[in-house]
Amino acid sequence: MENWLLLALLAPLLGAVAVWAAGEGMARKLAALAAALSLAAALALWGGFDPQASGPQFRIFVEWVPQLGIDLSLGVDGISLPLIALTGLVGLAAVLAPAPEARPKTYYSSLLLLLGAAMGAFASLNIFFFYFFCELATLPKFLLVGIWGSDRGRSRKEAAMHLTLYITAGAMAALVGLVYLFAVTGENFDLARLQAYSGAHPLPEAIQIWIFGILMLGFGVWASMWPFHTWAPVAYGAAPTAANMLFAGVLKNLGAYGLIRIGLTLLPLGARYWADCLAILAAINILYAGWVALRQQDWHQLIAYSTVSHAGYLLLGIAALNVVGVSGAVLMMFAHGVLIALIFALLGAVGAQGKRIGDFGGIARVAPFLGVCTGMAFMAASGMAGFANFASEVMVFIGSWQAQSTALRFGTVAAVWGLVLGATYMLRALRTGFYGEPSGPAVADPPMPARVPYAVLLAVLLLFGFFPGLLTGPIQRAVAPICQLIPAKMAAAEGAAPRKDHHQIAAHAAQANE
Amino acid sequence: MSLYPLQLEIALAVMALLVLIREALRPVGNGRALGLGLAALVLGLLAYSFTMDPVEGALYSGMYRLDGFALFSKRLFLLALALALALAAEFAPRLDGGWSEQYVITLLAAVGMLLIGSVNDFALLFVALELVTISFYVLTSYLRRQLPSLEAGTKYLIIGALSGSLTMYGIAYLFGATGTTNLDQVALALRNQGGAGGIFLFGMVLVLAGLSFKLAAFPGQMWAPDVYQGAPAPVTAFLAVGSKAAGFVLLVRLLYTGFLGAHHIWGPLLLWLAAITLLYGNLGALYQHNLKRLLGYSSIAHAGYLLLGAAAFNIIGVSALLFYLVQYACTVMCAFLAIVALGRATGSEDLDACAGLHRRSPLLAAALVISMLSLAGLPPLSGFFGKLLLLLGLFEKVELWNSYMIVAILASAGVVASFYYYFGVARAVYLDQGHSAEPIALTGATRLGLVLCIGAILFLGIYQRPLFDAAVNAALVLAPR
Repeated sequence: MENWLLLALLAPLLGAVAVWAAGEGMARKLAALAAALSLAAALALWGGFDPQASGPQFRIFVEWVPQLGIDLSLGVDGISLPLIALTGLVGLAAVLAPAPEARPKTYYSSLLLLLGAAMGAFASLNIFFFYFFCELATLPKFLLVGIWGSDRGRSRKEAAMHLTLYITAGAMAALVGLVYLFAVTGENFDLARLQAYSGAHPLPEAIQIWIFGILMLGFGVWASMWPFHTWAPVAYGAAPTAANMLFAGVLKNLGAYGLIRIGLTLLPLGARYWADCLAILAAINILYAGWVALRQQDWHQLIAYSTVSHAGYLLLGIAALNVVGVSGAVLMMFAHGVLIALIFALLGAVGAQGKRIGDFGGIARVAPFLGVCTGMAFMAASGMAGFANFASEVMVFIGSWQAQSTALRFGTVAAVWGLVLGATYMLRALRTGFYGEPSGPAVADPPMPARVPYAVLLAVLLLFGFFPGLLTGPIQRAVAPICQLIPAKMAAAEGAAPRKDHHQIAAHAAQANE
Repeated sequence: MSLYPLQLEIALAVMALLVLIREALRPVGNGRALGLGLAALVLGLLAYSFTMDPVEGALYSGMYRLDGFALFSKRLFLLALALALALAAEFAPRLDGGWSEQYVITLLAAVGMLLIGSVNDFALLFVALELVTISFYVLTSYLRRQLPSLEAGTKYLIIGALSGSLTMYGIAYLFGATGTTNLDQVALALRNQGGAGGIFLFGMVLVLAGLSFKLAAFPGQMWAPDVYQGAPAPVTAFLAVGSKAAGFVLLVRLLYTGFLGAHHIWGPLLLWLAAITLLYGNLGALYQHNLKRLLGYSSIAHAGYLLLGAAAFNIIGVSALLFYLVQYACTVMCAFLAIVALGRATGSEDLDACAGLHRRSPLLAAALVISMLSLAGLPPLSGFFGKLLLLLGLFEKVELWNSYMIVAILASAGVVASFYYYFGVARAVYLDQGHSAEPIALTGATRLGLVLCIGAILFLGIYQRPLFDAAVNAALVLAPR
C-alpha cells in the first residue's frame, strides 16, 4: 500500500519533468495521465485506509540527514487522508479545465508541480519536508499568474510579484518559528519524535506562545487571515482558471493544515494562549471579507473575497481547540476546497474572468448545464443543507460555541451572520448573471465529456453532505489525541481562579466578621 | 621536511610557470583551448586531492596546517578555480590580448587561496592574503581599454591597499600584545594572560576590519557593486566565489585559533556586522538593472548570511558556513556562466537583455533563473538548505528576545526583500516579451557547464547529506581543544 502513496506523490513530480522534456503536442495528454494516476493512487489509499487504526498509516521512511533529524517520512492519517484525496481530485479537474493556448509545456509542468507540492506537503510527517514541499509551489505559482494571468485591473506581472512576496513573507515567518522549535526541542524535525519529546519535556509557556504566535502569523498569511489576506483578491483576480482551482481549493489549506499539524500538536499551551485572538481575527475575516464581497462588481473578486471570508470559518474551527471544531475545520478544508475549485471551473467555462457581474444575464437559459451546476454550487456556498459545506459549517459552529470562551462565542455569532452575508452576495450574483433575460457575451454548455469533472465535483459535495460520517469518523479519530494535549481552556482556568479568589475574599470577610 | 603537504600549491604554481614559459616560446591565439585544458587539469587535481589525508599538528615551524578543515577549503578553492578558468576560457574571445597571462594570474591567486586554507601564522597569513589581493588588482582592470574596468581596478586597488594596511597594523598590535605571530601561541598567550586586553582587542578589530574587505562585508563592502560591474565577468565570478570564500576560511581559522579567547567580544560584533551587511546588500540590490551590479549587492548580502554562521560560534554554524560556500560557488558560477553567454550574444549584461530569454535559449533562461532562485533560497535548490543550516546554527544561541533572535528576524526580513530582485530576474526571463526572438547559440563548453552547474545545484539542494557530512567533519577539526 505504501507504494500508492509514493505514486500519488511522484506521478505529478515526474510528470512535470516528463511534460517539460516531451513535445508540445503531448503536454496535455501526459499531464492528464500523471494527474489521473495521482488521483487513482489517492483513491486507492482511501480504499486501503483502516478507519479504526490510530496513528499514520502507509508509512514510508528514508533517512536523509539524520544528524538534524531530517528524514523523508511520509504517511497518511485521518487529517491528511481527505486532503490528499482533495488534492488528487482538484488536481485532475484543474488539468482538464480549459487551458490557455500559449506555452503548454510550461503551463502543464507548473500545474503538476503545484499538485506534487501539495501532495508532498500533506503526506509529510517531517517538518523539513513539509516546508520543502510548501515552498516548492512558489515558482509555479509565480509563473502561472505571471504568464497566463488576466491583465484586467492590475497587471498580471505585478500580481505575480505581489503574490510571491506575500507568500514568501509568510513562509519566512513560519520558518523562523519552525527553526526555533527545532532548537528548543532537541534538534529534530521529525513530528513523531518531536511529539514524544515535547510530551516528556514540556516547553516553557513563554516560548510556546512566541512560536505559536509567529507560526500563526506565517501560516495565517497562507490561509489569507485578516489583515494578511490582501494577496488573495489580487492573485485570484489575475490567475487563470486551473491555477485558481489549485490555489484556492488546495494550496490555501496548507496554512490551516500546518497550524493544526504543527501548532496544535506541538504547542498546546501556545494554542491555548492565542485561541481567543485567533477567534477574533477569524470573526473579522468572516464579517469584513463578507462585507467587502457585497460591494464587488467583478466575478473573480467576488469569489476571492468569499474565499477569504470562508477562511474565517476554518480558523474559527481551529480556535475552538476541541474535537468537533477542529474536525469541522478539516472537513471544511475538504468541502470548501472542492466547492471553490468547482466555482472557479464554472466561472472559467462561462468566461467570467475580468468581467463584471452585470455583464452577463440569463446564462442558465442559454447554457442550462452550467446554470444548474452554478446554481447548486452557489447554494452550497451559501450554506444550504445537503452539501458537505453545510455539515462542516455546523460542526465549526457547535465546536466554537462549546469552547466556553467569550471571544469564541462572539466568533460564532459573527460566523452565523457571515452566512447571511454570504447568501446575500452569492444569490444576488446568481440572480443577476444566471437568471432573467439572456444578455452579454455568448455562453454555451461544454460538450458532453467535458461536463464530467463538474458533475463529479458536485457529486462529491452531495455525497459527503448526506453522509458526512464517512469523513468525520477518521478525522475525529486523528484529531482527538491532538485536542487531548491541550490543557483546560483559558475560560475554564479563569473561571476557576476568580472563584478561588471569591472564596478567599469570603474567608477574609468571615475572619473580619469574627 | 617533506614537501608532501604543499603538493597542491606547488602543482598550481608549476602550472602557472609552464603556461608563462610556453607563452614566451610560442604565443597562443585567443587561448580558449588553453583555458579549458587548464580547467580540466585543475579538476584532475581536485579529484587527486581526495586521496590526500589530513596531517596532524602544525608544519614548517608551526606556520602551516593540513588538517581536515584546510583540506576541505583547498578542495573548495580548486573547484572555484576550475570553474573560473572555464569561465575565463569562454570569455577569452572578448579580450584583446594577454590571453595566457590571465590564466597565470588566476592560478597564482589560487595558490594564495590554497595557502590561506592552511594558515597558522600571521606572517604566512599576510603573504598569502597579498598574493590573492595583488593578483586581483591586475585581474579587475584586465579590460584595459574599457573605462569601467579601469575604474573597478582603481577602486579595488585603493580600498584593497587600505584594508591590507589595516590588517598589517592590527597584526603589529597583536604581536605587541602576545609576543608571537603563531596562531597557536597567540591562543596560548591569551589563555595565560587570563583574557584579552585592550591592545589585543584593538588589534583584533583592526584585523577583522581589514578582512571585511575580502568578505565584502560591512564596513569593507563599498567597493563590491562597482568592481563587480566593471571587472570582466570571469574575474567578478572568481572574486565572488574564490576570494570571498578565502576570506571566510581565514576568518573562521582566526576566530577558532588565535581569537578563540575573545569570542565573547567577536561573537556579538560579527552578529551585528552580519545584520548590517545583509540589510545593506539586500536593500541596495532592490532596484539594480545591471546583472553584475545586482550580483555585487547580492554578494554583500550573502557575506551577511555567512557571517551569521561565524557569529553563531558553534559547530553547526561553521559547517553551515562551509556548506554554504560550496553551494554558493556552484550557484554563482552558474549565474556568471549564463551572464557571459548572454553578454556574448547580446553585448549587454543588463536586465533588459534578459527579456524574453526563454524563447531565445531555454537552457540559458533556466540556468539564470535557477541560480537566482538558489541565491534567494528556494527549495529544492541548494541555497535553501544553506540558509536553513545558517539559521539552525544561529538559533542554538537564541533565547526570547535576545540579540540573536532579533538578528534572525532581521535576516528573515532580508530574505523576503531579496525575493523581490531575484524574482525580478525570473520576471524578465519568463514573463517579459523581448525585442528579439532570435535564438542564442551556445558553445558546447557553455552548454556542458550550465548543465553541470544546474545538476550540482539540484543535487546539493535535494540530497544534502554527503556535503553536509564533509562540512561537519571539517568543522569538527576546529572544535575548541
